[in-house]
Amino acid sequence: MKQSLRFQQKNLLTIILVLVFLWSLHVIDWKEPLLHPGGGATFLQIIEAIIHPDLSPEILLLALNSAWLTITYAVAGMTIAIVIAVVFGVLASGVLQSSQKPFSSLSKSFFRAILGFLRAIHELVWALLFVAAFGLTPYSAILAIAIPYGGILGRIFADMLSDVNNEPIQSLQSTGASRWQLLFYGYFPLVKANMISYTMYRFECAVRSSAVMSFVGLGGLGYQIQLSLDDLNYEEVWTFVLFLMAIVIVIDGWSSQWRSRLAKRSSRFSLLSFFISFALVVGSWMYLYVVEHASLFTLFTDENGQYAKKFFLSLLGVGEESPAFFSAQSWLPILQLTYDTLMMSIMAIGIATIVMLITVVPAARNVANGKLTMSRSPFHWVSFLLIRSSYILSRAVPELIWAMMIIFIFQPGILPGAVALALHNFGILGKLCAEVIEDLDERPIRHLSSSGASHAQILLYGVLPSVLPKFLSFILYRWEVIMRTTIVVGFVGAGGLGQQFKLSMSYFHYSDITLIIFCYLLLVWLADFLSELSRKIAK
Amino acid sequence: METSQNIIELNDVSVSFDGKIALSSLSLLIKKGERIALIGPSGAGKSTLLNVLSLSNVSGTGNIMIDGQPPSFYRNRKVRAKKIGVIRQQFDLVNALPVIHNVLAGKLADWSLFRSVLSLVIPQEKIMAEQALSRVGLGHKILEQTGSLSGGEQQRVALARLLVQQPEIILADEPVASLDPARAEDVLGILTKLVQEENQTLITSLHSVDYAKKYFTRVIGLREGGMVFDLPVDQLTDRHLKELYKLRETSE
Repeated sequence: MKQSLRFQQKNLLTIILVLVFLWSLHVIDWKEPLLHPGGGATFLQIIEAIIHPDLSPEILLLALNSAWLTITYAVAGMTIAIVIAVVFGVLASGVLQSSQKPFSSLSKSFFRAILGFLRAIHELVWALLFVAAFGLTPYSAILAIAIPYGGILGRIFADMLSDVNNEPIQSLQSTGASRWQLLFYGYFPLVKANMISYTMYRFECAVRSSAVMSFVGLGGLGYQIQLSLDDLNYEEVWTFVLFLMAIVIVIDGWSSQWRSRLAKRSSRFSLLSFFISFALVVGSWMYLYVVEHASLFTLFTDENGQYAKKFFLSLLGVGEESPAFFSAQSWLPILQLTYDTLMMSIMAIGIATIVMLITVVPAARNVANGKLTMSRSPFHWVSFLLIRSSYILSRAVPELIWAMMIIFIFQPGILPGAVALALHNFGILGKLCAEVIEDLDERPIRHLSSSGASHAQILLYGVLPSVLPKFLSFILYRWEVIMRTTIVVGFVGAGGLGQQFKLSMSYFHYSDITLIIFCYLLLVWLADFLSELSRKIAK
Repeated sequence: METSQNIIELNDVSVSFDGKIALSSLSLLIKKGERIALIGPSGAGKSTLLNVLSLSNVSGTGNIMIDGQPPSFYRNRKVRAKKIGVIRQQFDLVNALPVIHNVLAGKLADWSLFRSVLSLVIPQEKIMAEQALSRVGLGHKILEQTGSLSGGEQQRVALARLLVQQPEIILADEPVASLDPARAEDVLGILTKLVQEENQTLITSLHSVDYAKKYFTRVIGLREGGMVFDLPVDQLTDRHLKELYKLRETSE
């Protein structure tokens, strides 16, 4: 009885999620034309330009230069993020606190809350705030990357440290080691491999974020993409996008190599990787200091201090007669936008999920080589390669850049935002879910196949039951990420809170900004809470 | 007069977890230099007794004196580390560190934080680590990753750490439980030899009666938290062992 109830619980959750998605579609007025007049033609132009990107020497040189700038900001941002993550991660893990129970758990939750706050706000929002406060210095971009990435890395580091195998630690304790000595001789060596591997994964993400940073007016690949889009020069756009893809693919390959070597402990590659990372860090900071003439200390001048102070005071509504967050008139439209944004995120994850579900089976390596389905054909490899490349394209291009292109095609509203978010996320979802199928235990499926089940029956009885829970947890996890990103696609006019944020920023309505950020944080927390709840139900 | 020779004195010690008795009013005198094997069926209280002796947070009643001092005297981790060393099954080492740092971890109580961090880059007191490792027959493996060693070798690294730590009492909780017979004899042989050379006191829990007879001077049989016998090894007979391990059909 209890068993069947649990079974129903999962199905019920799935049905509810599908209904919620259908409800979100209802927000769009489908009778109005969805595309711009001529949007279809623009779409064809953009697609056509993929085939012949602009490969003239000056554009290539420009792309190379912007790519370096993008990497530099990402590396510098990650350097600070790692410092934040290690310091706060250790404090939040509780390994240094003495065992006096109430104090130690209190300080642990305090530092966890700080990390939670750091990662709640999207890096582009930080960037806009910093540019408003400090001006167009590279540090606006670097700090904007450092803060949320420090929060994410710190949370993961804290989890790794508190999940450490206890036996070696106890044994070290019996040799009379202090808590600090335990940290260096026990905790750090035990989690080193996992820390490096996760940091590398985040570095790849940081490069994408850094490319997007340029949107606020800081140089880099994103800036060039934006300029070329403004000129309607799609050939150039694709050149820069291809550069971005290349960087992401190279880092992805490097980090997966490094990760697999870390597990096998063959140290030469690790040593080399370590030196490359070190050289990148030193090179990036030198470049910032020497070429860009941007020292971290110039940030803390009196003048900047005054600007920043004024900016943050106006965020708090100081000097304003009726700050937005005290007037019901400003609350109502913002709440409406908050609701729209929520719907946008649901629509986005829904579309991404549908595309993923359609493509994921042929995208699994064990389906392509016929091991899982016991049927071989060259057609499988062709579809495998096609789908996998579309996944790479999808996730290599940041949401914001997808949004910039999409708004050329769709009428403004929340649909283009949802489509842009879906475009970036179906590739990520597809890759993660295809890996789930690849890790599937093949024996039960062989058994089904040998007992005469058809392909559809195999899918229904052998594949779906074992992969769906994992799919669901990935989908919910991506939804949390999408929620954080909704505000970003709004910046370029794809609707929701983000669009209003950008407008208020342009009109210097700073107390509106505070209100919007407040509602945005509410949404982020709501998404985290709901997704955690659903994952528990699905378990 | 006699008490001053006893390095460990337990008087009427009882421990219980969640209402289940783990040790019931155990009294025990141990002299310096003795090599004691604790044997008995699973759940007899061997590990609990070792935990009590290692002064880790075990709540119970009764009196414990280590070298004439109460447990509170050893609350300082440095003082405790000089008196008591612990070795368990082979999962005690930090696999991701090279062997030398796992050995030198025995020095952490003596080192400042700065020196211990520096040592991870430039090993301090390297000669001491080399000597300790060659005494356990692993001198050539000093720079290898600990995780790449076999189970028996890892246990010998743990022994080298104890050589560096130099406690007066060594508590070993099933030190050879996860090793095959040849490796187990190897590790126990080295352990007991080193203990004799350093004039340390050794208390080991074991599953094998044969090892207890071969390597130890005194055997204590535990069963359901109580002492069944406590004899010099040459007085141990099959009758005692039968009594210790017989299945009690009346209880449940």
